[in-house]
Amino acid sequence: MILASLVKTHLVLIIGGYGLVFGSFAAYAWRVVSRGRSFARQLPDEDKPWT
Amino acid sequence: MNQSNALHTGTRGSRIIGILALIGLAWTLIFALVISPPDEVQGDAARFLYLHVPAAMMAYLAFAVTAISSVLYLWKKTRSLTWDRVAGVSGEIGLLMTALMLATGMIWGKLTWGVYWRWDARLTSTALLFIMFIGYVALRGLESSPAVRARRCAIVGIVAFLDVPLVHFSVTWWRTLHQPPTFQVGKATISGSMLFTLFVSMISFTLVYIWLMMHRNRLAMMEQAVEDHGLKVAIAERHAEVSA
Repeated sequence: MILASLVKTHLVLIIGGYGLVFGSFAAYAWRVVSRGRSFARQLPDEDKPWT
Repeated sequence: MNQSNALHTGTRGSRIIGILALIGLAWTLIFALVISPPDEVQGDAARFLYLHVPAAMMAYLAFAVTAISSVLYLWKKTRSLTWDRVAGVSGEIGLLMTALMLATGMIWGKLTWGVYWRWDARLTSTALLFIMFIGYVALRGLESSPAVRARRCAIVGIVAFLDVPLVHFSVTWWRTLHQPPTFQVGKATISGSMLFTLFVSMISFTLVYIWLMMHRNRLAMMEQAVEDHGLKVAIAERHAEVSA
């Protein structure tokens, strides 16, 4: 019933807003992790104190 | 230490926080879009509450961390480039949160006010905050010695943070189109499943912030190390040229 009311109202904007936020988190996290992997390959372990 | 650990920025702690953040975000989606009822006044547009308010809170938190770290860098007793790095990382994540706060707020505004943007006190002060932290992140990217860059960025970070109370209290200090704060000391303007959904969303966004801080901070450490290694190699090459 709630989903049906969502369809009647502003579905595109609401779903789009959630997609934007969650997509931005995913994109930023992906960039940080992939750059982290790239840098980690270039450096010795003593420059990575978390290991 | 094992080899797989050495090739990325993850640890056991960050993985646990990451998994909890993903579970929290999934719960937020289910509660926000399915379980939580439409608002009596705003209808389904109120579902932006569960994105907009946590994004704003995380932006405030991130910029507060930037300001505190900047003060700790400027204070001689605690001066360390670690504080500068933490300030920069938190500022970058805060900028992301501010962009999401503005974007979700604009869509919410379109649904409730009929326009994406009005130059009222809350929106204008938030836009100013966003622009100042774009400047802060840009300043961090400029070429200069680490100490000079850290001092400049610390001053800009503290000055930019002064806009945060202005943003928060703008809806009570001035007449604005924006609604009053959802949370005030001792009371909340929503209740029931809406309040619970907002609570779940706030926790999820906090976990996302912590996870991003951990990984981005480790990436910043490695960026600095690569820069230092490059500098060492350049100095060694220069010495070799001079002695030859």
